[in-house]
Amino acid sequence: MEKKTEQYDVVIIGGGAASLTAGIYCGRAKLKTLIIEKTLVGGLATYTNEIENYPGFPDGATGLGLMDLFHKQAKKFGVDFKLTDVKAVSLEGDIKKVETFRNVYEAKAVIIGSGGKPRLTGARNEERYLYDKGISFCATCDAAANSGKTVMVIGSGDAAIEEGMFLTKFADKVIVSVMHDNGKMDCNEIAKAQALSNPKMEFLWNTVVDSFEGDERLNTVILKNVKTGEALPVQVDSCFLFIGYLPNTELFQGVLTMNRGGYLITNERMETNLPGVYAIGDVRDKFLKQVATAVGDGAVAGYGAERYLSESEVFKKQVMNEGNPSLVYIYNGVDTYSRELLPLFKDFEQSHSEVRVSCIDIYKSDGIAKRLGVDEGPCALWIKDNQIQEKLEGEITPVEINRICR
Amino acid sequence: MAEFTLDCLGEACPVPLMKTEKKIGELSVGDVLVVSIDHSCAMKNVPEWARKQGHNVEIEEVDDGEWEIIIEKTK
Repeated sequence: MEKKTEQYDVVIIGGGAASLTAGIYCGRAKLKTLIIEKTLVGGLATYTNEIENYPGFPDGATGLGLMDLFHKQAKKFGVDFKLTDVKAVSLEGDIKKVETFRNVYEAKAVIIGSGGKPRLTGARNEERYLYDKGISFCATCDAAANSGKTVMVIGSGDAAIEEGMFLTKFADKVIVSVMHDNGKMDCNEIAKAQALSNPKMEFLWNTVVDSFEGDERLNTVILKNVKTGEALPVQVDSCFLFIGYLPNTELFQGVLTMNRGGYLITNERMETNLPGVYAIGDVRDKFLKQVATAVGDGAVAGYGAERYLSESEVFKKQVMNEGNPSLVYIYNGVDTYSRELLPLFKDFEQSHSEVRVSCIDIYKSDGIAKRLGVDEGPCALWIKDNQIQEKLEGEITPVEINRICR
Repeated sequence: MAEFTLDCLGEACPVPLMKTEKKIGELSVGDVLVVSIDHSCAMKNVPEWARKQGHNVEIEEVDDGEWEIIIEKTK
């Protein structure tokens, strides 16, 4: 089957809180924007039953409800949605490509908000019992099915303990396997106190999963005491894993810079190592992963992409003058000396009608200066045949300007 | 590599999933099945099932509350 090619200004990979926010900003800036999400619009937040710390919702919100509102707002600004997997990307160059199994989307900018997936324990037989066979990652999704049953939770972080407590509303018994010593947990103190006093919760300290056992479905988790090495079989109906997330970055290996864990590295503008490619939300190497911070990432990248696209246009048409002679003066609007030089370029423009003269204020935006490899003004550049021919820094006089413009 | 359609409009779960499973079974590898649904629960369980089988899946919202699930049989 021949893949259909479609053009967009911005393609956003992933449909979580960060991506939806980026979509809202791009859509509102009148950019033709596409969001590609492989499963459920709203991403990881939809797995959270209650979001109590997202500002503007004093009575709290459900993850699904909040993400529905994000989705609606993005749609209102004309963002297109595709619900499918991204199979391949090519991110270098001016026109980037994002492929799904039926389409090739060409975009001038790509924003990556692909998030993560739950980390597995790596214990024996794990693969055999994933999802509907007994190992779950979402209490909100599978709690009701465990009414009156015995379940196990692996982990002691916020997610593990909070979801574990939610499970006690349905299950008869929630056994929590914690790697650390008695009483030591990774979650916040409030959750810890609540969990320890919850009569339905039982803790097995210093344990990790050794193997998963059962027939068609999981029925026993064999734990191992990390101190004594002793095996401890525990009969359960389901096992929930909350031991962290891994970033979805396999597609970008060798192309985008990542840290050791595979998270994408960006600067504070969400820019990756490739121009026009941004990373936002949980896929990015960052300090705090929350809906509130994802929204900030999305806004920055959405705005950044819009500016990148308009600067690309100016860069190609005006600065590079499509191969024709161009004199560019880069100055800082708040610096008196570099402002005083402006008339020299106005004079040059009047006496040289064949040369396009552009004066660019880096105080407003340093995007174009960066593309020209200039960090600070004042600086004059003589450009011809789409290449910088001469660069003038420091002493800028009419004689010098005339000398470089040959 | 043919394209087939399956109209499940107006049908509630689990009918769309059962029909999809049966229809996919009749197709050859590389064939594409387009399932039309308007029951939001089928929008979850049909793609979930198809992904678990390893097929390629895409969901398209054709109208408010009406979707097409596009499944490419891969094995």
